[in-house]
Amino acid sequence: MRRAYRLSVIALAAMLPTTAIPALVGQARAATLSGGFDVGPGGFQGNFNPLAATAGFTWLSIYYEPLVAYDEKLQKVVGELASSYEVSPDQKTYTFKLTNAKWHDGQAFTAKDAKFTIGLAMNAKTGSVLAARLQSISSVETPDEHTVVVKLSAPTGSFLDTMTKVMMLPEHALSSIPADQLAKSTWWSTTPIGTGPFKFTKYVSDQYVELAANTEYRAGKPALERIINRYFANPAAAIAALRSGEIQFTYVDSNDVPTFKDDKNFKVIEGDSFVVNYLGFNHDSPIWKDPRVRKAVMYAINRDAIIKSLYGGAAKPANCAYVAEQLIPKGVDGYAYDPAKAKQLLTEAGWDQINGSKPITLLTYYTTPLATNVLAAVQAMLAQVGINVVPRAVDAPTYNSIVLNAKPDVAQFQMVYAGLQNGPDAGSINVGLNESQIPPAGANVVRARMPDLSAALNAALTETDSSKRDGRYQDVCKVMNTNLPWATLWVAKRYGIVSSKVKDFVWTPAPGGGPYQANPQKWSIAE
Amino acid sequence: MLRYSLRRLAIGAGMLIALSMLIFLLLRLTPGDPIDAYIDPNVPMSPTDLANLRRSLGLDQPLPLQYLGWLQNALTGNLGYSIKRLDQPVLSLVLSRIGPTVLLMGSALVIAIIAGIAVGVFSAVRRNSLADLSFSVFALAGISSPAFLSALIGLYVFSVRLHWMPSGGMLTPGEEFSIGDLIHHLILPAALLSIAQAALITRYMRASLLEVLNQDYVRTARAKGVKEFWVITKHALRNALLPIVTLIGSTVGLAIGGAIFIESVFNWPGMGLLLVNAVETRDYPVIMGATLVIGICVIIVNLLTDITYAVVDPRIKVG
Repeated sequence: MRRAYRLSVIALAAMLPTTAIPALVGQARAATLSGGFDVGPGGFQGNFNPLAATAGFTWLSIYYEPLVAYDEKLQKVVGELASSYEVSPDQKTYTFKLTNAKWHDGQAFTAKDAKFTIGLAMNAKTGSVLAARLQSISSVETPDEHTVVVKLSAPTGSFLDTMTKVMMLPEHALSSIPADQLAKSTWWSTTPIGTGPFKFTKYVSDQYVELAANTEYRAGKPALERIINRYFANPAAAIAALRSGEIQFTYVDSNDVPTFKDDKNFKVIEGDSFVVNYLGFNHDSPIWKDPRVRKAVMYAINRDAIIKSLYGGAAKPANCAYVAEQLIPKGVDGYAYDPAKAKQLLTEAGWDQINGSKPITLLTYYTTPLATNVLAAVQAMLAQVGINVVPRAVDAPTYNSIVLNAKPDVAQFQMVYAGLQNGPDAGSINVGLNESQIPPAGANVVRARMPDLSAALNAALTETDSSKRDGRYQDVCKVMNTNLPWATLWVAKRYGIVSSKVKDFVWTPAPGGGPYQANPQKWSIAE
Repeated sequence: MLRYSLRRLAIGAGMLIALSMLIFLLLRLTPGDPIDAYIDPNVPMSPTDLANLRRSLGLDQPLPLQYLGWLQNALTGNLGYSIKRLDQPVLSLVLSRIGPTVLLMGSALVIAIIAGIAVGVFSAVRRNSLADLSFSVFALAGISSPAFLSALIGLYVFSVRLHWMPSGGMLTPGEEFSIGDLIHHLILPAALLSIAQAALITRYMRASLLEVLNQDYVRTARAKGVKEFWVITKHALRNALLPIVTLIGSTVGLAIGGAIFIESVFNWPGMGLLLVNAVETRDYPVIMGATLVIGICVIIVNLLTDITYAVVDPRIKVG
């Protein structure tokens, strides 16, 4: 009896710590948000250097900040470290008024830091991927501690868009490192400092990066104590971690969305991908010369059916590079699905003599299951009208090495299935369509040589009157819709999934991951 | 023995040079270089910037010069910097990955050896029983199931559905290090990685023990009235284990292959994950460094296998 009593006391005593510990752990974890912030096309896993970042800004902008960023709808550029900015009437002088901000080490952020950072971003020696885009800067002046004046040699429509990617860096921490050694510095992944709402605490190689709240943040103390960015080999691995409760947020491919749609534990976040998907005609190949053939391709593809059945309705058909209403002129051709018309156009053009049923290589770097299904549908639809395409999916480096080659092998890509960023800055598509951008000069991989298209693009890019800019891009849309450098398909939506426990979370699938005003200091997580 | 080992190591060094040449050539034959991997086709970059990057990485040099430059540095222990992370020296990057991989493969090997030998002996002793048959079916399934498939099924069942095990990583992010946490993360990938090896060892163990049990000296032992348990453990097992030693040595290569899949599915921070990520980004220096280190390991393991064999079987003389 006594023994039983003693045993039960011991057992109870042994249970105490096991019941107490989870409670403590629960509290410690309550204010931690873990996510796959670098999963998907907007991520850049393992990069810590914003100067070298082609993507990954969703994460970088939690601890670094640019002078200006997009609003969360990606519609206009608003102040971030600059409380306001002014553009001169001739579009050549930009004046940024800086806010009172502090680096994570307590030092004040000043105009000198801004000038230093722009200098780094302009200098190709630092490994900056923005150098070419900032070439039009002729001078950067700092009349006082809170003012930065950037002068351009010529009006540059995309200047502010580029400036959103210039994350401010501390001069006092980096000025001693020679420019050509900067990319090799271990500072980026060990002791970086920014001005953002969270500060860098540690990086565990290939596993995760951890940030802690910057309690001195100028817009208020963050609600979360920590944010953890977990690395995943692919979206599928991230979804496994999301389902098992290890993370609370990740990007997902659109065909994974339905499994979360009716799940109360998760919220689906939908956003415009700002990437237009297209079938690119390789204009160096004689088979696409006749515009009737290109039109036939447009009529032969049932875009509405593909969008409905494969994208679950989550894409907008595109009749030029744009789907944003203000960029679509009246009277563009909608190219409604009409296989009979496609066949007729091919007959008129003499397709049997041009190519007939010879296989046409359709190259793509899209390897997701969704893309594979899309290509199978496209292949079947084109086969119905007598165009025999053979899809070939390769990884992005292989694709780039084939299509960006200065002496391209046309046989390897008579057609491409690809995508191109078409916003938030409408000028983004210039690099893929202007005759001046044919590789190696740019990314006009389809080798489009269309004088009226190039002229329309140039006119839009050099338009200094911002009220006329949309009209200029409408002209670009019109030319594209008529000349068909590509068979434009659609602009798809992209998705993120976040746990219902997370409150005030702002995320949007911006190209390159942003930056946009996500206000991470407001994010919180319920017990 | 020492002279033999030294000679083997000298041959190994020659093989490593040949291996590095082969990998270097194969990499250059692969379409796309590190800069091509840097570009997101949806978000093109300026060609001027790309050309600058190429030049700064020395990728514009003729191939033989690039190789000789690499070899010259490699011989002094400098394997260059990762292209994706220019702040990472390849040598320290690769060395930091050996630990996790050895831990994962070592655990898997221990599981495989214990399970394989136990099941193999049991199957041989109770041959053609129902248990033996079902083990045979399992072993066959184990040998035939590719690592990536069993990894995905295991992940789905034990972490996504049952929530028993973490879905990946080596430690819980943001927590202090603890052995329990490490083991919790280790069990699933190690067990899955051991499947193929365990199945192989089971099959060989069974066959080898059956062969030994038919030998004359076993019959003699039984005739002398030695208890069956001792017949098997003392007389038969030692001889039956000989081919298993060689087998375990030769499956290390198989295990490395499996580990690459398991590590990428479970995001285990070892050599396999490093290599897969490096191949995806065409990170030449990291691929060269990692394959070199893997090559060194395989050569050493093979040597150790042969030496162990000589120790276990007095009839074998090395040298």
